[in-house]
Amino acid sequence: MTDRNRRGTAVDQQQADLRHDEVQAGTQTGLDEPDVDVTDARQNSLWSDAWGELKRNPLFWIGSLLALGFVVMALFPSLFARGADPRDCSLANSQGKPSAEHWFGFDQQGCDYLANVVYGARNSLIIGLLAVAVVLVMGILVGAVAGFFGGGVDSLLSRITDIFYALPLVLGALVVLRSGTLGRGVVAVAIALAAFGWMTAMRLVRSQVIAVKSSDYVAAARAMGASNGRILVRHILPNAVAPVLVYTTITIGVLIAAEATLTYLGVGLQRPAISWGLQIDAGQNLLRVSPHLVLFPSLALTLTVMAFVMLGDALRDALDPRQRA
Amino acid sequence: MGRYVARRLLLTIPVLIGASFLIFALVYALPGDPIRALGGDRPLSPAVQAELREEFNLNDPFVIQYVKYLGDLVQGDFGTDFRGREVLDTIEQRLPVTVRLTVVAIAIEAVIGIIAGVLAGIRRNGFLDNLVLVSSTIIVSIPILVLAFVAQFVFGLQFGWFPIAGIGDGWYSYLLPGMVLAAGSLAYVARLTRTSVAENLRGDYVRTARAKGLPKRTVIVRHTLRNSLIPVVTFIGADIGTLMGGAIVTESVFNLPGLGRAVYDAIRAQEGAVVVGIVTLFVFFFIFFNLVVDVLYAVLDPRIRYD
Amino acid sequence: MRLSKRSAVLVATGLSGAMVLSACGGGDDDGGTGAAGGDGGSFSVYIGEPENPLVPGNTNETEGGQIVDSLFTRLVQYDVETNEAVFTGVAESIESEDQQTWTVNLKEGWTFHDGTPVTAQSFVDAWNYTAYSPNAQGNSYFFSNIAGYDQLQAPTDDAGNVTGEPAATEMSGLRVIDDRTFEVELTSPYAQWPTTTGYTAFAPLPEAFFEDPEGFGEQPIGNGPFQAEEALVPGQGITLTRYDDYAGETEGNADSVEYRIYTEQNTAYTDLQAGNVDIVDQLPPEVIASAEGEFGDRYLETAQGDITSLGFPTYDQRFADPNVRKAFSMAIDRQAISDAIFNGTRTPATSYISPVVDGFREDACQVCELNAEEANRLLDEAGFDRSQPVDLWFNAGAGHDAWMEAIGNQIRENLGVDYNLQGNLDFSEYLPLQDAQGMTGPFRSGWIMDYPVAENFLGPLYSTAAIPPAGSNVTFYSNPEFDQAIAEGNSAESNDAAIEAYQNAEDILLEDFPAAPLFYRLNQGAHSENVDNVIIDAFGRVRVADVQVVG
Repeated sequence: MTDRNRRGTAVDQQQADLRHDEVQAGTQTGLDEPDVDVTDARQNSLWSDAWGELKRNPLFWIGSLLALGFVVMALFPSLFARGADPRDCSLANSQGKPSAEHWFGFDQQGCDYLANVVYGARNSLIIGLLAVAVVLVMGILVGAVAGFFGGGVDSLLSRITDIFYALPLVLGALVVLRSGTLGRGVVAVAIALAAFGWMTAMRLVRSQVIAVKSSDYVAAARAMGASNGRILVRHILPNAVAPVLVYTTITIGVLIAAEATLTYLGVGLQRPAISWGLQIDAGQNLLRVSPHLVLFPSLALTLTVMAFVMLGDALRDALDPRQRA
Repeated sequence: MGRYVARRLLLTIPVLIGASFLIFALVYALPGDPIRALGGDRPLSPAVQAELREEFNLNDPFVIQYVKYLGDLVQGDFGTDFRGREVLDTIEQRLPVTVRLTVVAIAIEAVIGIIAGVLAGIRRNGFLDNLVLVSSTIIVSIPILVLAFVAQFVFGLQFGWFPIAGIGDGWYSYLLPGMVLAAGSLAYVARLTRTSVAENLRGDYVRTARAKGLPKRTVIVRHTLRNSLIPVVTFIGADIGTLMGGAIVTESVFNLPGLGRAVYDAIRAQEGAVVVGIVTLFVFFFIFFNLVVDVLYAVLDPRIRYD
Repeated sequence: MRLSKRSAVLVATGLSGAMVLSACGGGDDDGGTGAAGGDGGSFSVYIGEPENPLVPGNTNETEGGQIVDSLFTRLVQYDVETNEAVFTGVAESIESEDQQTWTVNLKEGWTFHDGTPVTAQSFVDAWNYTAYSPNAQGNSYFFSNIAGYDQLQAPTDDAGNVTGEPAATEMSGLRVIDDRTFEVELTSPYAQWPTTTGYTAFAPLPEAFFEDPEGFGEQPIGNGPFQAEEALVPGQGITLTRYDDYAGETEGNADSVEYRIYTEQNTAYTDLQAGNVDIVDQLPPEVIASAEGEFGDRYLETAQGDITSLGFPTYDQRFADPNVRKAFSMAIDRQAISDAIFNGTRTPATSYISPVVDGFREDACQVCELNAEEANRLLDEAGFDRSQPVDLWFNAGAGHDAWMEAIGNQIRENLGVDYNLQGNLDFSEYLPLQDAQGMTGPFRSGWIMDYPVAENFLGPLYSTAAIPPAGSNVTFYSNPEFDQAIAEGNSAESNDAAIEAYQNAEDILLEDFPAAPLFYRLNQGAHSENVDNVIIDAFGRVRVADVQVVG
């Protein structure tokens, strides 16, 4: 195999990876090279164009409003609980139906369900946001290093990523949580989900970094004596974030929903913590007699996930000029 | 092309070994004493517990256990679970169930997803487009276990359209679980197709074709679809591997004796050999289908050439 | 014995994860034996996945136990009404002069499904095989009271490594006299021993077993009313056909029975509603309210031979005072929890002994009822520190969350003591921690009887000899007077004398109060219109031989 051939293969491989990642992340659809436009002016205009686009998109507004609503609910749950204490329970009220007094009825322990659903927002949102933050950090760190340094470092990191990629998310999280080294709290669930969910972000960043790296702009900066770190942080990363950002917005929703599945599999949060996953799991056993126990937390979960998916969609449309009519 | 495929196949070896090592390490790191758990509230006699630990190498340090496992593996011995069943037998018996479920799910996801996506993409922001957008967003957002139980209760019992559980009715048994399993990805395929079709419809070649006076239907079917399907195929290919490993909930609710359920039980029982065997198989399928997609890619798009 | 995966795994069914076995027929009382003679037909029964090969000596959970019981008939069987041992099995008689050396006489004409005769040797070989530790059979400990058992256990070092071979392969206490007679010598007198031989582990094995134990486990050859003509398919089930040369009285009515494996109880019930499966012997708690109306006289309820208790760590300073333990017991409203969490399918416990066995007293426990005032008085007297929350322990993933949380809520409400739930650990971690005195507060403790005798609810759980790792005395309670009372009962010459001694032992227990009795389980089952004469016994087993196909 000649040298030239090897490089050709590597580039093809990289392009193939990129296609997967972008398609999976839903950031791009075509075969075109990633949009790389590295001058500050053009970069600014990308973002301001995007904002102009966003403003006109009803999806963006609905999504933001919903997300904001749930964030406020997570921060100040007592505002929404109609004066009820989620832990004030009496078995006499067990599985009470919704009424004018108690809009969401009571759960099996006889606790006010509206208060419980409202207080559940906090844990669910923390899990989603924390997990996504870890995904971002891991993805950017590993992706940037692999893409920037290339060669052996890239090969090694990419193979490690492949290994994680191929392990099903739920299975991986299941094993990590059962190992108990992280405990079983909100942080543990978030980290377990992130540990097997950062790979797409890594590949997205890596591909973008590789594309930007070879641009004239970076070559110029390098010629001016800028250090590796400076080039990476100041010049390359800012250009690589757009697709990752879109990806993470959509992923928040997926991760929040995954908490419910983990709870069902017996490794999610633990009572008496309050979360939508716990409520759905407990209610699922009572689906036939008290469907409201599944309905309300599912509704809250669905609306939250929808909010972030809509935000992500709107962001994608705005950041991808080819989508504009 | 041949050289490219060979190279990719070679690359799977370190990934497979790495994945099996990672899983083995994770299972090894699980705390607790699986042999003590076998007895439940009434412990097995101490001598019996000692014999079982000996048999499954549980007293050895991690690296020794792994090396012993690999050594057996090279000789074609995948090990056994605690009840003495060969892991290979378990795989042989359960793989067909998982494969059928995946095939049905992928078929549903592809057919319905692409049709919905094309209809939505032809008229962006029309009624159908919004319908697809809203319904797919909702479906993506519902936790799969809620979807599974509700679907089983409503379509299986109330309406009686589908078998409720088990695999006694052949392929028909897989239809409802397949739909539940496909739901999330289906929404995704629909949106992907929609964007892709919409974008391609604006391409110059479509304008040219329309200018030549070709009917819209012909343009869409002959020209647009083929190009638009490329990203969709990529996604579906990658999704095969994901679905195979991600069907634990669906298999449990619909009582399908597949691999997902087996690996879940094995994790709970800390049967290392079973977990590693099955998960490594999942990893292999994942890598394999990604390779298939890349090859398909070249077939669909003449601009791509490997090597 | 323990309840298998159907509740111990995925679904939080509200069933306690480790209980199930014995009691009196509740719903279907029209005759224990059923009409004899084959009316033909076939039917299906729901079970969970068996955990072990279908070998009697290795089947220590309920799912495999259900199949093994149809395939094997042991020395004695249990009457479905009284739960007393009856000689409808292979034994003609089991007699002893001194309650220590027992002579077993076998009936004539019994054969295995491969045509070979059931002899004294079939029992002795099977029991020796099960007891011999290198065979790693789960039920080995059931033979530990037979003389010479220790010689069959491999020596181990402190770390639990096997360091050699056992000294013998046969127990000295088992002696074959002739083809139909053998002698069993116990290490100490045990008047209830004949009753214990009805347990799964005591089945005979044919010679074919010893040639290929592994293959046997997939498709066993037994001496029961049904035979396995094909192997078990994991995840799916097994179909058994009637054994026409069965020598016992309880021959099968149907031509065949299919045990169908479900991973979700809910799914099995939905399938029953749709008429796809004939018998579901455990209903998901949520459907119980509606099932009675829906199934009418096809709905069955049977009291089970089990008990759920709240064990106390007697080794923990905080719970060392019996009055503290009694106070916690009196803070719990058992009926309210049964109604709200279990849909009324738990009977509040009033004794350490289950109502299904002889020796149960309805009002034995005075502190098993809600009495918040008295509870607070006791707690004050004991100087209990209420500012510190108590930990409530239970094993994860077995559906104990809801009722333990309800208990915590009641403790907070009635005693003003806050609680933490410690329900993260699976059996593999929870049990070793329990064995190592690691419980920092009250914990869930479940027990299913192995055989229907009062002693089975006392000795294995509270005697000094049963302190871990040897046994299941997880409260680490130890009182020589209690041990003495049990020993007296074991060697008593009459049943009445034995019961009296066991009740004395229970009185000591009630005074020291190492655990608070909570519930006895009622089992709910239902069947389709396709079958009749369905009986679920106190062990939670469907008596499949009696079932008649009518559809």
